[in-house]
Amino acid sequence: VLCHRLVYLHVFIMHCQSNAQKLLRERLCHQKLPDRPVGLDSQYKHLLELLRRTAVHGESNSILIVDPRGSGKTMVRSIKRCTPLLMTRDKIALKEITRQLHLENVVGDKVFGSFAENLAFLLEALKKGDKSSSRPVLFVLDEFDLFAHHKNQTLLYNLLDVSQSAQTPVAVVGLTCRLDVLELLEKRVKSRFSHRQIHLFSSLSFSQYVDVVRAQLSLPPDFPDPKFSDEWNHSKLCEEKSVEEILKRHFNASKDFCALHSLLFLAVSRVSVSRSTLREADLLEASRLISADSKANVLHGENLETDFYYRHDFSISSL
Amino acid sequence: MSRYITRLRMRRAYKWNGRPVSKDRKLKRQYYESMSISVEGKTEDVTVSLGQYILIEGDDDDNPFVAQLLKLYTDDSGKKKTAVVQWFVRMCEVPQNKRKLLGRDPHPQEIFFYQDRSCDNEVDGETILGAVQIEYVPVEDPFPKGKSKGILFVKLLWDTKSFRALNPELMQPPQSSKSPPPSSHGTQTRALPTPDLSVMKRAMSGILTRGSMSTGKMSSSEAESLHSASKLSAAKALSAKRRSRAVSGPHVRKKLDLCSPSKNMTRDDVLGEILDEHTEKTLTSKLNTSPTGRISISIRLTRLNLNEEECVSPLSSHSPDKPRLTAYDKDDATRARTPSRRKDALREPALAALAEEEHEYSPVQTAATPCSKRKSAQLESSRIRKQLNLLGNTVDLQSDGEDGDDDDCFVPAKIDLQSSSDEEEEAKIDSEDELIVKKRRGSGTSRSTEKTRVSARTPRKTPSKKTAPATPRTPRHATPSIPSRSAPAKKPGNVLEEARVSCQKLQETTVLLVDELDLLWTRKQNVMYNLFDWPTRRNARLVVLTIANTMDLPERIMINRVASRLGLTRMSFQPYTFKQLQQIITSRLNRVKAFEEDALQLVSRKVAALSGDARRCLDICRRATEICEHSGSQKNSSGLVGMSHVMEALDEMFSSSYIAAIRCASVQEQLFLRAVIAEFRRLGLEEATFQQVFVQHQALCRVEGLQPVNVSEGLTVCQRLGSCRLLLLEGSRLDLFLRIRLNVSQDDVLFALKAD
Repeated sequence: VLCHRLVYLHVFIMHCQSNAQKLLRERLCHQKLPDRPVGLDSQYKHLLELLRRTAVHGESNSILIVDPRGSGKTMVRSIKRCTPLLMTRDKIALKEITRQLHLENVVGDKVFGSFAENLAFLLEALKKGDKSSSRPVLFVLDEFDLFAHHKNQTLLYNLLDVSQSAQTPVAVVGLTCRLDVLELLEKRVKSRFSHRQIHLFSSLSFSQYVDVVRAQLSLPPDFPDPKFSDEWNHSKLCEEKSVEEILKRHFNASKDFCALHSLLFLAVSRVSVSRSTLREADLLEASRLISADSKANVLHGENLETDFYYRHDFSISSL
Repeated sequence: MSRYITRLRMRRAYKWNGRPVSKDRKLKRQYYESMSISVEGKTEDVTVSLGQYILIEGDDDDNPFVAQLLKLYTDDSGKKKTAVVQWFVRMCEVPQNKRKLLGRDPHPQEIFFYQDRSCDNEVDGETILGAVQIEYVPVEDPFPKGKSKGILFVKLLWDTKSFRALNPELMQPPQSSKSPPPSSHGTQTRALPTPDLSVMKRAMSGILTRGSMSTGKMSSSEAESLHSASKLSAAKALSAKRRSRAVSGPHVRKKLDLCSPSKNMTRDDVLGEILDEHTEKTLTSKLNTSPTGRISISIRLTRLNLNEEECVSPLSSHSPDKPRLTAYDKDDATRARTPSRRKDALREPALAALAEEEHEYSPVQTAATPCSKRKSAQLESSRIRKQLNLLGNTVDLQSDGEDGDDDDCFVPAKIDLQSSSDEEEEAKIDSEDELIVKKRRGSGTSRSTEKTRVSARTPRKTPSKKTAPATPRTPRHATPSIPSRSAPAKKPGNVLEEARVSCQKLQETTVLLVDELDLLWTRKQNVMYNLFDWPTRRNARLVVLTIANTMDLPERIMINRVASRLGLTRMSFQPYTFKQLQQIITSRLNRVKAFEEDALQLVSRKVAALSGDARRCLDICRRATEICEHSGSQKNSSGLVGMSHVMEALDEMFSSSYIAAIRCASVQEQLFLRAVIAEFRRLGLEEATFQQVFVQHQALCRVEGLQPVNVSEGLTVCQRLGSCRLLLLEGSRLDLFLRIRLNVSQDDVLFALKAD
């Protein structure tokens, strides 16, 4: 009986542990984003306010969100998902256009005719509406700078033109990491852009950074086994000196959450049944892997490889 | 009455009735009083004569055009029959967007007197379908019921802008014989016998109710009235001749002098002449003082025709002593009826036209923004210049397809166009000209007004196509509306031909507005070539207005054959000054007190100093109001947008993000930037390879007490800075030999780093 219970317990722990691992992995790997961006409250508010204006008052707007890579632009996309604004009647056309545009990035000249037709159709649809009657449309242009490289910047010109004139209320949100994106725009396009920019520079302090790590690693309160989650959540991992050192080092290198996620992902992957909690050594190992000099590694490998190849060659030639 | 519905592709034969009543040797025209139309398969002919209301073949068989016949003449060869008409419009011909101006549902049989001086009133005589009955209904009266369907009612006048009450006297056929005699009130002052009542009545109720009118009968009754007051009519005839002399050109006067029998004038003649002189003076002074007076003048002049009919026209047939005179007089008087009178007022055409311009635009000012006003004013002035040039250049006149007219008629007609309603202004340029309008960025308002202009005057007759070159991705896609590349020579002709056919009645001018011309550039420049080639064609009646924001576009991108087709008129727009910007904002605010004066001035001055972009200006104002709205709840401020808000908005818009970006960068990124600058200083160059910078970077790390980064990390940092464009990098395949440049000035970087 005891044995049986032990096995049962073991299975249960394994179950909990794999559950926790799965959850954390998902969080780290699938970019399950936190509900609100960290340390960017004012910018977040500004953007929401702007979108609210478009949605409620029917004002057309255009805004550019500039930030370095990995500091929360994608958050905007999550907002987009939350807002029902994108549900327009010509949603399909919109999708089509965007799909074609992405396609165009790759294929180049091949989608010519259909592109013009589509755009004409879309513009027609947008121009028909007026301020009061039609639903506001939100355009989110990710990697805005790439649109600026399109020939004649046709799409930008037309979208921004619609946003300037009193047609269907339109909010054009551009996401980019380039600070000089406005200089890429043609004069006529630039003039139509409203010159609103939101900069998402993370002015994150180290303590905030550590808080984020802690939040990312903790299990949610609705975890099936409260005892396990308690144990997991109360580990003093982040207070340890070496861990802090590792985090500091990463913080110095970049404040980017993606980099942090990849570090934590490696650490979490090392958790197994035998070591049910995340420990210092896991993090150390992960950090070592992440910050290893790839070239040096390659060289290490190459020595062996080249050696092997040389020998191989030699043996073949000697034959 | 022959119903027009029965006209189903029937062959009609046209034939003059009687001999020509007069002849114009100069124009080689012979004038007739009536024409008979015999329809195949019908026994009785339909006769139409002067003053009668007629139906003219149009593109809509159910609703043929309605007009009043004013003149009938044939040209030298005697083959081409031409009719001069006064148009009436049906409701369906009024532009869709103007129909609600009527304020009520139109009666199905209602038509409107059409008053538009730009409208061509000469039609081919063989397009006349037959006569129709028109009844004048006073404005306040209801439409008569139970009448035949064939009768049309006219109640109002449509002057292309609004419906107005129609003066029934306008409906009287302006007699084609003599020039206008003294006005009706003049007759009363001189206690002349009042006009024959029967004649009056006939004129009022529309002469044409009698299906056909025999000239003999008419002239006999009028001859009677002539004999009863022969002397006075002689005086009138004399004075009329004088008047026509005043209004007609110099060579006309010469001829008139030759055949004028004014040697022996009686006392009455002199008196009549003095009186005439008086009325003329008042007319002229009125003309000079108020430009608007002109419209009323033309009305007054036509009003006189009542008397003409009574006592002047008989001269044409029954005064053997002056047969020649009438011939000349008649033509000149009628032709000069409206346009030539203007000559009095327009002795200095340019000045007068300009003055007129000011007046014409004053009512629009309130509605349009200042910039659109300015733009149109410039357009106008350039047009005046152009027309003045044209006046001295007969070759140009000929090429406009106005060969039929002689010059003195042409001149006032040209200037006449200037005085037309501002909305139609652009449509009425008879000459073809192309302008390149240099566009300053942010002139959105002017653009939109122009757009509406094009569309506003697009009744079903005017084929106005607007090409928006930015919509199609390449100029090739713009070509469906413009001729395709494959047949560049043939297609535009077809388009124009179609346009002309559809404009058969109202030969309106087409304005083609092309925005963002530089996007229409192709390697062979076929699109541009055709665009500018169209207006050079004969009878094109096309104005091509193109807009671009490059100052030297023709010199820079156009090849010779395109550039040579481009008109000379080039208009460049300077950036807005702060005053204009301020005006724009105030006009947009529409008298809402939302901004402090100083705040407005700050915005406009700041923008004017930087770019003069009106859109930017408005954007800043918008942002400032938002900021004010947010802060307004906290402070107990006045609620107006003040300086502080504007300053905040300006800071937001104009502040460089580079410094903020550097400040928020991670420690290693900042160190790397520092290393870049250190390396630049060491090299004395503005460029370094990654290898060199990396050495510096590692040294700096040691100085700062950080663990030195390895190459991979260093390169990651470098790339991240490159993606923000703080650094300009080469392709990463170069690895260690990647060359690095700063995209910001060194001072900025140092400033940003020091502030930490």
